[in-house]
Amino acid sequence: MSGGPPKALPSTGPQSLRDMPHPLAGSSSEEAVGGDSTPSPDLLTARSFGDKDLILPNGGTPAGTASPASSSSLLNRLQLDDDVDGETRDLFVTVDDPKKHVCTMETYITYRITTKSTRVEFDLPEYSVRRRYQDFDWLRNKLEESQPTHLIPPLPEKFVVKGVVDRFSEEFVETRRKALDKFLKRITDHPVLSFNEHFNVFLTAKDLNAHKKQGMALLTRVGESVKHVAGGYKLRSRPLEFAAIGEYLDTFALKLGTIDRIAQRIIKEEIEYLVELREYGPVYSTWSALEGELAEPLEGVSACIGSCSAALEELTDDTTEDFLPVLREYILYSDSMKSVLKKRDHVQAEYEAKLEAVALRKEERPKVPADVEKCQDRMECFNADLKADMERWQNNKRQDFRQLLMGMADKNIQYYEKCLMAWESIIPLLQEKQEDK
Amino acid sequence: MEQAAPDPERLLQPAPLEPLSHPDTGLESVVGEGAKGARDEGPGDGTMTESNFSLKKIEISVSEAEKRTGRNAMNMQETYTAYLIETRSVEHSDGQSVLTDSLWRRYSEFELLRNYLLVYYPHIVVPPLPEKRAEFVWHKLSADNMDPDFVERRRIGLENFLLRLASHPILCRDKIFYLFLTQEGNWKETVNETGFQLKADSRLKALNATFRVKNPDKRFIELKHYSDELQSVISHLLRVRARVADRLYGVYKVHGNYGRVFSEWSAIEKEMGDGLQSAGHHMDVYASSIDDILEDEEHYADQLKEYLFYAEALRAVCRKHELMQYDLEMAAQDLASKKQQCEELATGTVRTFSLKGMTTKLFGQETPEQREARIKMLEEQIKEGEQQLKSKNLEGREFVKNAWADIERFKEQKNHDLKEALISYAVMQISMCKKGIQVWTNAKECFSKM
Repeated sequence: MSGGPPKALPSTGPQSLRDMPHPLAGSSSEEAVGGDSTPSPDLLTARSFGDKDLILPNGGTPAGTASPASSSSLLNRLQLDDDVDGETRDLFVTVDDPKKHVCTMETYITYRITTKSTRVEFDLPEYSVRRRYQDFDWLRNKLEESQPTHLIPPLPEKFVVKGVVDRFSEEFVETRRKALDKFLKRITDHPVLSFNEHFNVFLTAKDLNAHKKQGMALLTRVGESVKHVAGGYKLRSRPLEFAAIGEYLDTFALKLGTIDRIAQRIIKEEIEYLVELREYGPVYSTWSALEGELAEPLEGVSACIGSCSAALEELTDDTTEDFLPVLREYILYSDSMKSVLKKRDHVQAEYEAKLEAVALRKEERPKVPADVEKCQDRMECFNADLKADMERWQNNKRQDFRQLLMGMADKNIQYYEKCLMAWESIIPLLQEKQEDK
Repeated sequence: MEQAAPDPERLLQPAPLEPLSHPDTGLESVVGEGAKGARDEGPGDGTMTESNFSLKKIEISVSEAEKRTGRNAMNMQETYTAYLIETRSVEHSDGQSVLTDSLWRRYSEFELLRNYLLVYYPHIVVPPLPEKRAEFVWHKLSADNMDPDFVERRRIGLENFLLRLASHPILCRDKIFYLFLTQEGNWKETVNETGFQLKADSRLKALNATFRVKNPDKRFIELKHYSDELQSVISHLLRVRARVADRLYGVYKVHGNYGRVFSEWSAIEKEMGDGLQSAGHHMDVYASSIDDILEDEEHYADQLKEYLFYAEALRAVCRKHELMQYDLEMAAQDLASKKQQCEELATGTVRTFSLKGMTTKLFGQETPEQREARIKMLEEQIKEGEQQLKSKNLEGREFVKNAWADIERFKEQKNHDLKEALISYAVMQISMCKKGIQVWTNAKECFSKM
């Protein structure tokens, strides 16, 4: 985005989510919230996917906006992902079209969630609902509750801590939208989580609040029972492979934190550089006004510096909007993964304690009681799930960072290319001979 | 240039601008040096012809700088830098150059030379010296006069100064300049013997003239205004440029931190490790590339600085004109008042105040003989005054003519030089951009292999 104060989203006026038409009424892919409020062109057009999003390895495609380029990159991407066969992908989820809602009590943003699926779990082939951040938060909590043995992707931060960021600025909303989209795509990509009933409800329910109130009782294999694992069991030692994971995550988060700080520092320096450039360029203009033959060359240099300033601003904006959020997301991810590791430890501890208790009891029938068996089962499932998720996570992480860092390099290349063009174009002007001026 | 009647108003009109037609215009130096020889134009082509001597091409270079210690005028130890000036004469036939002179000079001797030239060639825009103390430094640059980078840039600046002199059609013929290049010992005494310090106009006198001159040449007013503005805008430019350099330095250097953290991160990764590690290396390259980039930019800053100081030289010429013009106005005024006095004495009317008139009133009239005597004296003074005014007027016109010739030459030189400077600046920027693209492309490739 170019410079200027962040733009506020057009408001739709007081509306309730309940008032929104059924997703399938009329054209489902068009949003009819608030009647005749027309979304600004920016929001509609650009909110399909840029190239970057298409290369996401975590699944999902732009629903209904497939262009030749997108389907080929979709195929490329899918080949990298071991778990998903391009032909069997049967669930596509998209987050787009943010809209501001102004109510008496509060103002908030909703996003359109479009789902296309051939799975039997879905009654209809296509859904379009609107959700707000709260709803995503609810979903995540539900997933954590119901699938405690799996790694649940992180959400973008709930509150904006640093600085005076406008929650309703276009830049902030877009950054958040991308993160929410990533969140859903990661779930979509997951062989277990994507079948979770809460996820289904989230994607399809016309009125999510009603569902929230009902508090669905779900039966999952390990879910309910694991919730009640007492905290009293202490693990003696973590198995080597999980200890390694734990250590890895610690160092990983540390390094990401450092990179985050470096990136912030670079942005700060670039902004200060920009401030000086903005004073520097105009001085050439002032000088140009004094001169005769030199007037055009000097003015040209001034314009050139102006172009470079604009390019630099774009670079810093991109870094802020695209680079930093992904870094932070992964730090959150590794934090939540560490707590899953701890849960796993508890399960193992419980099993080991119970096993020990049995061994000490010295019964005539040294048969392993049912509940100890259940514990063992629980532990082994947990370990298996976790290992599988870790592997998938590592793979996705590699793709994500590859893309992220290549993107960062790309932005810098583009910045320098813009500056290069500006300076090269001015050389002929500077070399021009004055003809009888 | 003969005046029909001694009309003060007409005498005060400055000479109209004469076109720079004849190539010899402006060659008549005020000091009155003799022979004209072949003259080489173009700044910095480093050649000069000697006047009064055989025609030879000469190359000048300031090739070395050396730290010295010695005793100053107050017999205290001091450290200073001496610069080696080498002069080579080029034989026309085979183009070979032979070292003819080499001697050491310190900055203060360059200053002495320039001050001398300022006095003897007030109608010339005398090339400036490189700065005495480092100014407009950004944080990494040293403000220390002994710093090797500063000394090196000063060496180049001094060489440039000598080359400017050598390629100036008038200044290149100056004997003191010639001796500066050829006579190591005793040169200072020779310069001082010219008594130029005495001929120098006092600052106070010049300031006075600036405020009181009534009718200076409009073109000089404009020129003075221009040189003030030029000075102001280049100062501003140099200040901001220094800050820009500072900030740019910061941006590049922080990227170096990526190098370190990528390396540390690569240690815990399997497949990603190599890509990260090699990308980190490129970040280090990127961070260190800024040092050379900014060093090159200092040359650009030096080119700007030269013209910043040139603005001062322009002002000096304007000041001299103001002084001469003021002098002329005063002389004309004085003449006019004497004539009036004479007339009053002759006719017996008293229109102007005079002490004599006053005393006459108080103490009684003077005798006719006394009056005659006074009239006679006044008439003589008037005749003298008219002569003086005529020659001052002539001088004034000559000055304006010669000065404008040099100013036109200067303008062309300035336009040419600054255009070249801007081009080289653009080229530097282009090079910097290309380097940036290269580094990030390399890094991108490393990332792609992750």
